[in-house]
Amino acid sequence: MLVLRRRAGDSLLIGGEIEVEILEITPTRVKLGILAPDSVTIVRKEVHLTREQNVTAAKKVDPGAVSWLTGKLAKH
Amino acid sequence: MPSFPTTYFGELEYHSDSVFEFPSGIPGFEEHTRFLLVEQVQSHPLVFVQSLLSPELCFIAVPVLAVDPQYRLELNEEDLVSLQLPGAAQPRVGEDVACLALVTVTENVDPTANLRSPLVLNLKKRVGLQIIHQDTRYSFRQPIQSQEELTQCSC
Repeated sequence: MLVLRRRAGDSLLIGGEIEVEILEITPTRVKLGILAPDSVTIVRKEVHLTREQNVTAAKKVDPGAVSWLTGKLAKH
Repeated sequence: MPSFPTTYFGELEYHSDSVFEFPSGIPGFEEHTRFLLVEQVQSHPLVFVQSLLSPELCFIAVPVLAVDPQYRLELNEEDLVSLQLPGAAQPRVGEDVACLALVTVTENVDPTANLRSPLVLNLKKRVGLQIIHQDTRYSFRQPIQSQEELTQCSC
């Protein structure tokens, strides 16, 4: 992983077309501005992971697995 | 009474006021904005989250507290607004809101529950949202253990 130190107001370029600017830094958060072509999708990583998990969760499930799961959760 | 053909429950009759509206769907399923919760005695405490757009889209979910009795729901201001909840205090799980983790069942792997991004449902206003918990201790793939196993682990 490339690690860079930047200050508020500094920018960096990814390839020739993507620019990331550090807009504001607070003790807990960094505010970023991103300039990129429309064809580039930008998404928060946790939203991406949620989407992936949702797509996996939506797959057809064997009814046997449902009753097994119910049994597992019902145990005392 | 309206009804909807479903892959898993056949023709499902429902009251229109039992529908949960998800104004922006959930990530990956943005076009699915209306869901029904289906509970069956034989599969308690599981809850099935059936889309009213596709007969075959049905998630298996479990109340977060059944997976982690210490689970703490924390909604940010934006979540509270989306869920039409008053901003003064966090909602009470089981009274103001239901909080359900979507379950993933894959072959040869223990089933997991997504505690990081649970569905939160406003039980009065019938509005739902998949939130993303700030606390990174909660996993997108928390293995589901029985209560018995949980007790043994804490020994």
